Amino acid sequence: MKDSHPFPPWIDRARPLVGAVLAVVPAYLIALVYYGGSPRTTDVGYEPVQPVAYSHALHAGELGIDCRYCHTNVETSAHALVPPTQTCLNCHTQIAAQSAKILPLKESVASGLPIAWVRVHDLPDYVYFDHSAHVSRGVGCVSCHGRVDRMERVRQVERLSMGWCLECHRNPEPHLRPQAFITRMDWTPGDDASLGAKIRKQNNINPSTDCSTCHR
Amino acid sequence: MPSLEPEQAKPSSQRGDRPSQSPGMLEGGPAGGEQPARPAYWRSLAELANAPEFRALAEAEFPAAEDPTGVSRRRWLQLMGASLVLAGASGCRWKKDEILPLTAQPPNRLPGQFQRFATAREMAGSAIGLWVTSVDGRPIKIEGNPKHPGSLGATDAWSQASILELYDPDRCQWIVDRTGPEAMTQTWARFAEWIRPQLAELAKAGGAGLAILSEASSSPTLLGLRERLRKRFPQAAWFDYEPISRDNECEGSRLAFGQVVRTHLALDKARVVVCLDADLLGDHPAWVRYARDFSKGRDPAAGPMNRLYVVEPCFTITGSVADHRLPLRCGEIAWFAKALHAAVCEKGDARGVGSQTKESGASPLAELEKTSPALAVAQAIAKDLKANGPNTAVVAGPRQPPEVHALVHEINAALGNVGTSVWYTADPDPDRPPHVEAMKALCERMSAGKVRMLVILGGNPVYDAPADLPFADALDKVPARIHLSLYDNETSRRCTWVLPRSHYLESWGDARAWDGTYSVVQPLIAPLYDTRTPIELLALLDGQADADPRELVRERFQQIAGADWESRWDAAVESGLLGDSAWPRTTPKLARQTPASDPGPLPDGTDGPWEVIFCSDASVYDGRFANNGWLQEMPDPMTKLTWDNALLLSPASAASLGIGHGAVVKLTLGGREALLPAFLMPGLAPRTAAVALGYGRTAAGKVGGDVESGSPVVGVNVYPLRTTQAMGFASGAALAATGATYPLATTQDHSAIDVVGMRARGRRVGDLVREFTWDEYREKSKHDPHFARHAQHLPPLESLWQEFSYEGRRWGMTIDLSKCIGCSACVVACQAENNVPVVGKDRVLRGREMHWLRVDRYYRGDAANPRAAHQVILCQQCENAPCEQVCPVAATVHTREGLNDMVYNRCVGTRYCSNNCPYKVRRFNFFNYRKDLEDPENEVRKMVLNPEVTVRSRGVMEKCTFCVQRIQAAKIDAKNRRAPIPDGAIQTACQQVCPTQAIVFGDLNHKDEQGRPSLVAQLRQADRAYEILAELNVKPRTSYLAVVRNPNPEVENLAFKPT
Repeated sequence: MKDSHPFPPWIDRARPLVGAVLAVVPAYLIALVYYGGSPRTTDVGYEPVQPVAYSHALHAGELGIDCRYCHTNVETSAHALVPPTQTCLNCHTQIAAQSAKILPLKESVASGLPIAWVRVHDLPDYVYFDHSAHVSRGVGCVSCHGRVDRMERVRQVERLSMGWCLECHRNPEPHLRPQAFITRMDWTPGDDASLGAKIRKQNNINPSTDCSTCHR
Repeated sequence: MPSLEPEQAKPSSQRGDRPSQSPGMLEGGPAGGEQPARPAYWRSLAELANAPEFRALAEAEFPAAEDPTGVSRRRWLQLMGASLVLAGASGCRWKKDEILPLTAQPPNRLPGQFQRFATAREMAGSAIGLWVTSVDGRPIKIEGNPKHPGSLGATDAWSQASILELYDPDRCQWIVDRTGPEAMTQTWARFAEWIRPQLAELAKAGGAGLAILSEASSSPTLLGLRERLRKRFPQAAWFDYEPISRDNECEGSRLAFGQVVRTHLALDKARVVVCLDADLLGDHPAWVRYARDFSKGRDPAAGPMNRLYVVEPCFTITGSVADHRLPLRCGEIAWFAKALHAAVCEKGDARGVGSQTKESGASPLAELEKTSPALAVAQAIAKDLKANGPNTAVVAGPRQPPEVHALVHEINAALGNVGTSVWYTADPDPDRPPHVEAMKALCERMSAGKVRMLVILGGNPVYDAPADLPFADALDKVPARIHLSLYDNETSRRCTWVLPRSHYLESWGDARAWDGTYSVVQPLIAPLYDTRTPIELLALLDGQADADPRELVRERFQQIAGADWESRWDAAVESGLLGDSAWPRTTPKLARQTPASDPGPLPDGTDGPWEVIFCSDASVYDGRFANNGWLQEMPDPMTKLTWDNALLLSPASAASLGIGHGAVVKLTLGGREALLPAFLMPGLAPRTAAVALGYGRTAAGKVGGDVESGSPVVGVNVYPLRTTQAMGFASGAALAATGATYPLATTQDHSAIDVVGMRARGRRVGDLVREFTWDEYREKSKHDPHFARHAQHLPPLESLWQEFSYEGRRWGMTIDLSKCIGCSACVVACQAENNVPVVGKDRVLRGREMHWLRVDRYYRGDAANPRAAHQVILCQQCENAPCEQVCPVAATVHTREGLNDMVYNRCVGTRYCSNNCPYKVRRFNFFNYRKDLEDPENEVRKMVLNPEVTVRSRGVMEKCTFCVQRIQAAKIDAKNRRAPIPDGAIQTACQQVCPTQAIVFGDLNHKDEQGRPSLVAQLRQADRAYEILAELNVKPRTSYLAVVRNPNPEVENLAFKPT
């Protein structure tokens, strides 16, 4: 046995490099998983193409149609209700009735087949979110959906992660507004810093952070 | 000598010393080692004897651990690694999801919103009113209709499970035409085209050659169409057949009154009830209603308790709640009825019967007891009956011959019960021949070649016709055999045309409750397949193809409701029934007066011939529910047997033949043989073998067995042993052990609570069920308002953890063991509500059934005639929950309202929580039991799932959450309306289904405007309330109310030993 040293001599020179790799790679991997897997990266900004080129910016923004004209049950049921085709045709038999963009609506009514809208705000199946519990008690549409009145195509702007939900459940006051402005996208609380606390007291809002509130 | 009432509940100080009983064969436990104390309450004979098979189940938390056979550890790690990588790659964003709104929204229907409609389910000629919950157009859950007299808001397990039947992919989906050389699927139009000339031909001969075989039905529309057909085909023959019939009752009333009447009971008025082989709370058509009425007399705090005597050969749930139960052989019941009749009808006091008892001493009964103990019991019961005058009821069961029924009518008349706790209505179809006679006549006609076309409406006569009638062979002689059926069953496969039948949840129809109340059958969903109802088929036979079934029903309704029928129709559809439509009461005159005569000595059963009793089954009834996984897996209320029937034998009688538990026995009866596994059950009459009908189906489907497609047959068919002469029970059977054994999947020893040493267990288990007599109750409740809780002495309990304080709501539950009859409807209701999977016999054998709620059945006392008690066990929602403290990932956590939440998406499956749960209520998904739902042909099965409850996958622990989805729905609704939740507004699934209202759920902190606490809070503070395993300081939120029985001291003192 000539040499009891198991490693070649150049290994000594590479030692600092190995040290650097051992220090950087785990940090890089952790950062990669943390940011790459975060809903901020994977979900925010999701903007699928819809089968009908419906513009919320035009209808809700420019024309100022209230959200509840189409999403009728948002205050009374768990689902906000994506409108039936018939709702679109309430107006579009008169307005822009000949437009090519309206064609899928006419086809849907004629065939009785639904329009396959792509879900933008998609919560996992084990989450039981209820619109009515939020909308009827002072949480405005804009808090979760962002400025839909400025979107040509609806885009996810919030993370909709559990941590994000809990931020508000732990401290709901900044997100509360008077019931009259519930669908107003441009409403701001103004100078009244205590408004949130007032609404919270008035509506007796004590959001639960228990697991079974959302998971059953 | 063990007495009829073996022992009294003892105060806790005496609990240590068990009376030394000597139940014959059970003497001597396992060889060697210290003998553990004999438990006061025991679940099985194996436990009583502390047999190794019981210890194996009790000692291991997860018996029979799963070895991944065929996969090496190395290979397994490779696969897991690969799947992790793949899962990571696909996990960035879940797949695209679409929203498909309707093109036009129907009014009153919102996506995801629950709606409720009234309907009714008919079985064997009697209807129960239902409320069905529907979401997005599909029915998902069945509840009882509170307005319906047959339900009063409760249901049975069959109704609960019928929703699974609706979505069963094995249902008949197409018309099958076997008229040609090859079977072909056909359309209804083609069938109508085929049958039209045939019917025209038959009509020429006045319908001679046409026969219709129908299930028993009370549907007015169907009976109306029957009359219409009789006009068109006057020579045609109509037969009704049910394998399990109540014809003996009809014949009995004919004997007694000279006319056929239907007997009704007011069990809420009856102070003393005597059941002679009658399972009033188990298989009576009106049992759900009867259970409610009966339970009103079981609350000791509410007033005088009623008293139930049961004399029966096998152990039914009615027997399990009896104050006194006397096991007598089926053939001896007639003797007992005679003795009771003699004692009741004798003038003066009951002592007069028998020559020995004339004024000889202070206690004539004790005197009589020496010579004929059973007679002494009969006389004591008669005395009790007479003392309670007209507020009593004596009932005989459908197995008993007409003579017994006639005697019972006379007894009731003599006691003056008629008009108070017993009343009669005219039979709706008095001219109908008994089912057996009808079947005999049909077979004769068919064998003689007189039937050219047979139309079978439902049923399965090839499977369940009496064995001595050549039904199947005779059927083959009929050229045109048409079967309208829900399933392609044994009968369908021998017919030339199989017509798919609509499920009741997809059809218009009507039916009558047991008391005659007109009930509307309303569809909840359009037929899933191209199916028809019996009334549509009859209309077609009448020449009315494509009749609208709703119109047929309305037409008939018009005749029933009379003037103003249209508005009454709307009301009837909405409420599910037509008010005041019950049959009018009649007071038939007794046509005979049997003189009270000495019944003679009780025949000695010890050497008598073996009797075989044919019972309806709590799961599959007569076999019709064989393809229903929920029912097959529901443990039988008494034997706790799943996925099988067995030959129930008393341990002593079995021992005399050398038959052990699980041994395969050859049963020979009148030259017919069957091989059946033996199930040793305490409390059976001697030399009696009881066996459930409805198993051994060879063409039920994938679940219940189908020989053609290779699905294993479930249980053993005993219809081939059942002859026209002995439909209820048969005498003269021979039993012989074959030497083989058979594994029986019984859950009676599963989840045995607290296994810290057998001695400790023996002592503690006695405390799980607490039982008092009514006298004891009155005495103890005077001195201690919490005597049941204090029956167990607890040291000062201190917690290691900081305890929660509950300012807001505090959910809690109480279960009244005095009211619980063990019917197990709650087990199936929980399964339906919470998407609990079915696991199959193999898994049940390993102790892996998934039921969140189980009903533990305990025996107590002597194995020859024990008492039984039922205890519903579900998650107790401990305030100091041991499961929460050991979960490494916080997948089970406490809520502010005190619920013990289970977060499936966090669970990593360590199973520590289950190990640490003293109540054994946690269930682990060893497999992905929903994997088969990915199969396209099972798409329809997904429709049964409750969308409000997560469907769990493999590797996840699950358990009861007090139906948290219902709590949340009520909370959100109340908050949206800015209104409080009134007490009783939230019902858990088990509570809602309970026929006896034994389960009460609510907010323990709730106070109404007057400051009254909620019902559950009151009950938790009641004198009978106690918590089980309270010594562990887990602070369960579920309380039990102690069993209180009302024994008759006179019977109690009689030492009756069943021979």
